[in-house]
Formats: sequence, structure tokens, C-alpha cells
Amino acid sequence: MENNTDNISAIQTTEVLEKPESQLREMWASLISNKGAVAGLIIIAILTFVAIFGKWLMPYDPNYSDMAISFQPPSTAHWFGTDQLGRDIFSRIIDGTHISLTVGLSAVAISLTIGTILGAVAGYRGGKTDAVIMRFMDMMLAIPSILLAIAFMAALGKGIDKAVIAIGLVSIPEYARIVRGCILSVKENDYVQAAKVVGNKDVRIVFKHIVPNILSSIVVRATLGISTAVLDTSALGFLGLGVQPPFAEWGDMLGRARGFIFSAPHTLVFPGIAITITVLAFNLLGDGLRDALDPKSRKI
Amino acid sequence: MLKYIIKRLLMLIPVLIGVSIIVFVIMRVFSPDPAPIVLGQHATVEMANAWREVNGLNAPLHIQYFNFIKGVITGDLGHSYYTKTPVLEEIFARFPATIELAVSSILFASLFGIIIGAISAVKKNSVFDSAGMVTALIGVSMPIFWLGIILIIIFSGTLHILPSGGRADPLLQPATVTGFFLIDSLLTGNLQSFADTLVHLILPSCALGMYSMAIIARMTRSSMLETLEQDYIRTARAKGVTEGRVIRRHALRNALIPIVTVIGLQFGSLLGGAVLTETVFSWPGIGAYTVNCILKSDFPVVQGVVMLVAITFVIINLIVDVIYAFLDPRIKYSKKEA
Amino acid sequence: MNTVKRVFCVVLATVLLCLTFTACGSRQQSPTQASTDTLIFAQGAEPRGLDPALVDDGESSKVIVNIYEGLLKYAKDSTKLEPCLAESWDVSKDGLTYTFHLRKGVKFHDGTDFNAEAVKFNIERQMKGKATQDMSYADFVYGYVTKVEAVDEYTVVITLKDVCTPFLYNLAMSIAAPMVSPKALQDNNNNVNEHPVGTGPYKFVRWDKDQAVVLVRNDDYWGEKAKTKNVIFKIIKDNSARVVALNNGEVDMIDGIDATVVDQITKAGNVVDQPDGMNINYMAYNTTSPIFSKPENRKAFSQAINVPELVKSLYQGYASPADSILPSFVPGFAKDVKQVAYDPEAAKAALAKAGITSVHMITYSNPRPYNTATGQALAEAVQGYLSKVGVTCNIEVFDWTTYKQKIKAGDYDICFYGWTGDNGDPDNFMALLSDKDPTMNVARYDNPQYNELIAKGKATPEGPERDDIYAQLEKIQADQNPWLLVSHSKLLSAYSPKVQGYYYHVTGNVFLSGMSKNK
Repeated sequence: MENNTDNISAIQTTEVLEKPESQLREMWASLISNKGAVAGLIIIAILTFVAIFGKWLMPYDPNYSDMAISFQPPSTAHWFGTDQLGRDIFSRIIDGTHISLTVGLSAVAISLTIGTILGAVAGYRGGKTDAVIMRFMDMMLAIPSILLAIAFMAALGKGIDKAVIAIGLVSIPEYARIVRGCILSVKENDYVQAAKVVGNKDVRIVFKHIVPNILSSIVVRATLGISTAVLDTSALGFLGLGVQPPFAEWGDMLGRARGFIFSAPHTLVFPGIAITITVLAFNLLGDGLRDALDPKSRKI
Repeated sequence: MLKYIIKRLLMLIPVLIGVSIIVFVIMRVFSPDPAPIVLGQHATVEMANAWREVNGLNAPLHIQYFNFIKGVITGDLGHSYYTKTPVLEEIFARFPATIELAVSSILFASLFGIIIGAISAVKKNSVFDSAGMVTALIGVSMPIFWLGIILIIIFSGTLHILPSGGRADPLLQPATVTGFFLIDSLLTGNLQSFADTLVHLILPSCALGMYSMAIIARMTRSSMLETLEQDYIRTARAKGVTEGRVIRRHALRNALIPIVTVIGLQFGSLLGGAVLTETVFSWPGIGAYTVNCILKSDFPVVQGVVMLVAITFVIINLIVDVIYAFLDPRIKYSKKEA
Repeated sequence: MNTVKRVFCVVLATVLLCLTFTACGSRQQSPTQASTDTLIFAQGAEPRGLDPALVDDGESSKVIVNIYEGLLKYAKDSTKLEPCLAESWDVSKDGLTYTFHLRKGVKFHDGTDFNAEAVKFNIERQMKGKATQDMSYADFVYGYVTKVEAVDEYTVVITLKDVCTPFLYNLAMSIAAPMVSPKALQDNNNNVNEHPVGTGPYKFVRWDKDQAVVLVRNDDYWGEKAKTKNVIFKIIKDNSARVVALNNGEVDMIDGIDATVVDQITKAGNVVDQPDGMNINYMAYNTTSPIFSKPENRKAFSQAINVPELVKSLYQGYASPADSILPSFVPGFAKDVKQVAYDPEAAKAALAKAGITSVHMITYSNPRPYNTATGQALAEAVQGYLSKVGVTCNIEVFDWTTYKQKIKAGDYDICFYGWTGDNGDPDNFMALLSDKDPTMNVARYDNPQYNELIAKGKATPEGPERDDIYAQLEKIQADQNPWLLVSHSKLLSAYSPKVQGYYYHVTGNVFLSGMSKNK
């Protein structure tokens, strides 16, 4: 896993005092004026379309192997060529879109949910609860996430569901930290104090007043998190720990093409490009969101 | 400051205990039984059982954990199941290789990252700026292992100018003093070996450092831009200080503070990225070795490595925080965690 | 402000460093390329260790055969037995007592004498009771031995508890059988994994973990001394990187390659060597499962798969479709045995009649010596054929360790496996189908007639009578189809044309002492 502590976003726990709705609207306006973010959005829209309707776009069954035509270079019949088992790489790349997006989104959903809850509880309750939760997060952060994910996969076995769990679990601490940070800065605001005085329940305060306010930082983090999750999935696949066959997963395709880099380089080029484009799109969108969120960087 | 450092070092203890429990549970409870792989093609069920008995794997879990902790305290991490060599020996035969790679990657990343970022900031919105930032964006989006393979194809497979992998030519390897080839070759005055080691470092450092370089470039650009808008820069300009001097003496200097932090953070994450780079470049480091040991269920080694990496990671974080405080006197460490 | 200066110094130093980088980069020439007194062999994984009693892998044994020797050895191009540290041997009439006459004047690398006591020490170290649990081949090689006596300085008498014709073959193996200096074993706590001392043509110098094992010529060798002074076994894990290293002249010989890189290697002017290997790659039907307990279902599945076509595309001609379990150079090989022929129509009809629409398949993710394309690729190819006759396969893939556990658990209809011969004896292959251990006999096949013949083969002395027993066993397999035989893979290795006298033994070992290198 490439790097988690990237970018500045972790450092800037932006002061978010405006009303959430107007803030989101403003974010959107700023977002669509950002060329990179728009490009990212368009790519993501295309990828999503391909992931959903891919079945009808594929020229061939992605898992149909015809040993008589293995390792064909790109041609009009097979745009991206065929792999070792004579399967159409173009169809497999399309098929892989579905897996990469599913794993990326679900893994982020897991880490986001658990991380937000843990971070919110820690930040809001403070004291011992805070200490216990955050120490546990520190422990997880002290183990490189890829080793942790590999160990999880080795223990759980191959499979999309397991990859989702492994990748989701290892990035929980990031979200917990961000949410806790945001909560600490929001908690002392007047309207939260007021709500407390009026006698609202803790849970209600957290969800009604605090969560909407930290939403924007989380959205940024989660968007960038998807790109990390896609990279992580491909890394696991590359190491041979990804999905069960015959599913097409980009990293897995790359890992298996690795033995043929000279005899059949096309088997290696296209999955790599697919991963890069997907990650790039989410990075562009994430950057755009961050700029939109942070007026200071918007100027630049 | 000293008090703060001591406090942080003391906090290492609960973290390490926690880490040891996490690893222990993942490995011993969920991982496959190591006996079949250790015993090989002819292993029978009885042989496997006897082997587990001797290695204490039939004992209840809490006893196993207790034995492990007892070992850690007395400095005995046990022997690798697979090679029967003491774990510490296995680790220290490989750890310097990983550190050397990580350090050289971070140097590569900082150097080019700062240069690209600084020029992009100064020539804002120029062709160079766009090109630099697009490169940086692609840099953070490419899988490390893919980049590594592409580099091998280009520089080793096609142009034949750089070695495809490994750490040094076996015959040119310097005598072992510290385990770091660059230092060892200089200590023994073996310049040919120094050059050979450098050549072997180029491709893996580029592959591993690319991501960090991209991050550092972007960080440098944005923090330089911010600094360039500060009042004192305007004042300096107004006073007629030359533009080059303004940038070098004032803008870059102040922009360095957040950059140093990012560099420190990157260093920690490089230890993780090393796993993939080492696999692609046959680098004899700890990362690829650990993956192998995880897949072979070599419990003592995995436990040892993870503990060591956790310690390294925490210490690097501490160093980053201390440097940060050192560079920016506004920051004072209170009782709150950093 | 000093801080800033310091930071700039660091940056400046880095610039200089990087300039050096690029400067050396362009004109670097590997010095080992030029030297003719060093042979470099690149292999794909690190040896597990260098103590013959403690290892079980090919990567270790490649190094071991250059440091150590056993009482017997194999001929250059087959598994025929030849004398080595034992000059001759006699077997008693009842087949239970073996007398070995040892070569005189042989010394271990540490200067101690090789004699009857050393042989006794080496064998007793691995006998029941004394062997440690992780000596995985001890039982296989010495399990029948009840007593070892040093009659005089150069005569050893070994007594077996039962007749065992494969025993002599075992003594030529590169695992468990090579003789280790007793002194070294005593000095190193019965584990010479990192301090190997043998009698062979090369001596151990050092082992840089994950990098290289370095050996140097043994100038006191009893036989013909090695032609090249230094030998390096370099570890390059990535297959493609290993090919690049050969083509760039960084190494002289490589192995562990697959068919797809052959063109790349020959185009660069290097030579590919491809003798048949001592192995079998097969798919096993779980004969205890409801579907495959019926032989007719096994036959129908076998008919559905076009093995010759599959082998051709998967291994690109660097494996041959298997018609018998035994490779052709192993005694007992039967030429006239044929497996079920490809007949998808018949298969489709039979399967439709039996109402079989899906099967559960498990396989392994790693490449194996007998299946370089990985079990996953093989399973996917089989899946393709079966889908054409209306059967869907649920494939589960596991890494090798987990896979063995799944095999033991037995929850599968079909699994993939293979075998690399240990000692060149037919029993070593054929007995798999009668083994009681389900991790060996993965088809879980249990046929009393077959088991009886196996026992008979083990007790029959070498000769046509014994060969005939194994031919009968082959026939039973071909009729009953507990396995679908896939291929015998060739042993692919490659070397630079500068290397003279290269050969790769059928056991997967390289004996470097006869090789030399031209300028």
C-alpha cells in the first residue's frame, strides 16, 4: 500500500463552521470549475458505466479460453490481444473494471464506517475510551499495511470478499484519526455546546450536528481512499493473493503476465494502464474536492 | 524536549505489546499449519504432529504467547522453521539492504521532488508547471510494481545499460562491516564496488521513490506558492532583492518546514512499498523475504520482522516530530499527543 | 539559519550523489563478464539450507551436489547407478545385507578423513530415534535400515529390516544421502545448513542471504579437479529478470524458466537446454467422491479433455503429453500403454446420461517443477474444455501450503498435483496410487490388486521381471483412470555459448566441476 499519510489533507483539519448544505453547494460549484476534477469525474462516470454494462460491451466471454490462440498480439479481432490461455484481454480488462471498482468502493465503505464510528466515539467521549481506541489504532499503524493485508489474505485465502475485508481493515486507523481530529475541533463550537445544554442525547448530537460538519473532510479522504484501495487490490493480485479464478482482476493479470514481459508484452501493458487510469481519476477528483473544500488552496 | 522523547519512547511499550498480540493472533490462529511445508513431499501426519509438538505448536495459545514474549525479553526470537537459522540472524542479513534502498529512494524523491516542485511554483502556470504536475499525478497513480517492470524492460531488457536486479555483483561485493554496501565499500576503499552498488540502486530507487517524489513535488509547489505570497517576500522584492535570491534565501527556506515533515512521513511508508519493489528487483531485503515467510507460515520470522518494523516505524515518527519541532520553534509539545 | 544551510548541504550532497549515479550508469561494465575463472549460475529461489539431511528442495540440492558426494551417484544422462565414494558393493542373497567398499584417501574439506566411521555417523544421524522431526527425507532414504557397522576403516555393512530394491537408488540422491563431515556436524550442533563441509569438487566460501552462495575449487579433490576456480549461485527471483541477466551477460547459466522466454534467450545468442525431466503432472479424480467413485465418470471426464492440444499451448512444446506415469528413461517404462483418447461427443453423451453438470475443483497458485504454467492456468484450461461438454467447474485456488491442507481435508472432486522423482526408481512414482497418506495419494485410490503389485515390485530384484510388474501397474491406471495424465515437463535451463561442457541432470541438478568458460 502505497502511502496513506499522503498529501496535506490529513494535516489540515479545516475549520468548518458554515452550514453543511451551503458548504456542499459551494464545493460543487468550485469543483466543476476545476479542469482536473471534471476530467476525473468523466473518467469515473465512464468506468462506472463500463463496470455496470460491461457484459454487453465485451466482444468475447472474458473467461472463455481457447488454447489454440494463446498469446496473440493485438489485432482487429482481439484489440488488446489474448493471454496465455487464449482469453481476450480487452474483455478481461472490461470485466476487471467491475472487480476493481467493487473492491475499491466496498473496502472504503468498510474502513469508512468502522473508522468513523471509532473516531467519533474516541473524539466525542474522550478520556479513557479515547486513549484505548487511539492506542489500538497506533498499533495497527505501526505495522506496514501491506504486510498486514498479506497476512490477512494468507490467513483467509483468496477471494474478492476477503480482499475487501483485508484492505478495508488495514485502513481503518486513517479514518478514525481524521474523524477524531475533526470532532475535537468541532466539539467545542457554540452550537454543539448549546445542543448539549438543551439536553440532546449524545448519539443525536454526534449525528445531527457533528457528522454533517465533518462530512466534507471525509468525502475527500474517502475519494483518495478509493484510489489507494484500487492500488492495494492490484498489489495483492500481483503477489498472487487476489481473486479466485477465472475472475479477471487487473493486478492478478499483471502478476501472471510478469513471466512473459518479453514474449508477450501486451499482456502486461494494458492491465497496468487500466489501473493507472482508474487511480488517476479518483486522485483527480479527490484533489479537486480538497481544493474546493479548502478556500486557501483554491486561490492557488 | 528530552522529557518528551522519553515519554514517547515509553509509549512504545504498549504499542509493541499490542502489535505482538495482533501478529500472534493472525499467524497462530488463522494461518495455515507450517508443518507440511517444513517437512516437504514425504511428510506423514505423524511426522507433522511430532514436529508441531517439538516446536510448541500443540500447546494452548496463551502458553505459546507467553513463551514468545519470554523469548522477546531475553532477546531470543527463536529459529526460522524453514531454515533453522536464528531469526535475528536472518533478519539482520537482510535489513541493511532494505534500509539502504529506502534511504536512497528518499534521497531520489526529495531531490527531484523539491526541484520539480520549486520550479513549478516559481514558473506557475507555465508549460513546465503543467508538465511537472501531470508527472506528479501519474507518479502517485502508477502501481510501483508495474513501474518497476517497465523500467526493467526499458533500461535493462532493451537498452542494456543497467542491471535488472540484485544488490551488487557478487564478486564486487564489499567486505561486510555495517551491512550497508555504500558505506562498507567506502570504508574499505573499494571504489569499484561503490560504483557497482550505486548502479544497482538506480532502478529500484526510482521505482520505489516515484510515489514519494510526486508527493514531495506537490507539497513543495503548494508550500512555496503560499510562502511567495507572504508579506515579507513582497517586502524583500520591494527592497530590490534579486528574484533568484528571494526564491533561494526566503521562499524555499520557509517552504522547507512542511516538506521535511512530508519526507519523514514518506520514509515510514517506503518500508511498506519495499515489499513490492524488492519482489520485482530481486532485492535481497526484508520485505520480499517477509512475504515469503508469511506464505510459508514461518511464524518466528514473521513475528520478529513485524516487531522490528514496528519499532523502526515508531522511531522514525518520533524523529520526524523532533525535527519538525526543531525547524519550527512555534511548535511546542504539550501533554497532548502529537 | 544554520539549519537551513545544513539542509542545503544535504541537498547539494544528493545532487552530487545523483550525478555519480548517472555518470557510472552509462559506462558500467560488469567485471565478472570478462573473467573466465568464475561460473555464475542464477536460480529462482534461495536454498533452504546446505545440510543434505535438513532440506527437501531443488534449489538447495543444486548447490549441495557440488559440495558433497554420496556413496553412489547417477550416470550423466539417466538414473543408472555408478560408484562414487563407495568403489563397489555386494548385496546378500536374501537382499537384506549390503556391504560397501569405500574409496581410500578421500578427505573432507575440513581435513578430516572420509572413512567407515563417517558413513556410520551420517546414516545413524538420520535413523529412527536419532533423526529430528524436520529431517524430511530421513525415513524415505534410511527407513529400512536397522544397523550400520564399520567393519574396518573402509568397509561398511548395512542391514535392512525388509527387502527394498529402491534402497541403492536412494543412496545416490542429492538429499539425505550425501556424506557430511562428522566433525563439522559436532561443531555446529548437528546442523550444517550454513557451514557445509563435504568431500566434493567445490568448497563453501560464503552465503549472502537472498543474494548468492559462493564456492571455490577444492584443490585436494580425490578425483578430477574442477575446471573453473570459482562458482557462484546467484539468486534472482523474478523469472524475467533472470532471463535479462543471462542476456546481459551478468550470469552464465539460468534455470527455472518457462517456454515463453525461449525465443528471447536464443535471439540473444544464448543456448536453451531441454532434457526430459523426471516428473509427472496430473489431474486427480477424488475416487471417494460420489461422482468419481464410478470409473465410467472418470473416463468420460478424461475423454472431454484434449490433452495434446492443452499441453501444446500451455507449455509451448516444452513439455510432452504423458501417456504413462513413468518418464521414458526410468526402468519399467511401458511403451505400449495408452491413455483414454479425446472424444468430446462420447464424453458429452456419457455426462448427460449421468446427469453431471458441475464439479468442485481445487488447485495451486504456484508454478511447480512439473507444471511451470501454475496449477491455476492448468485448471482454467481444463475448465474451458469441460464447459464445452456442459460441465461447469468451481475452481478454488490456494497457495501451496494451504493447498496441502485442503488436499488433506479431502473436500474436492478434482485436484491437480504432480510428482518429481526422488531416486529414479519406478516404485517412487507408481507407489503414489497405493499410499495410505491422502496428501500423497490425492486421488484417494484404493485398489487391492494394485497395492499387491506394488508390494511385489518393491521386493523383486532389478530385472525384466520387476519391469513387467510396473508395466502392469501402468495398465491398471490407464484402464481405471484415477488420474488424468497431463504431461512430463522438460527441464528448461539456458546458458551462454561461452560455457563449455554444460549439462543439466534429469534429477534437476547441475554438476559444475566439468564446466569451463571461454573468453
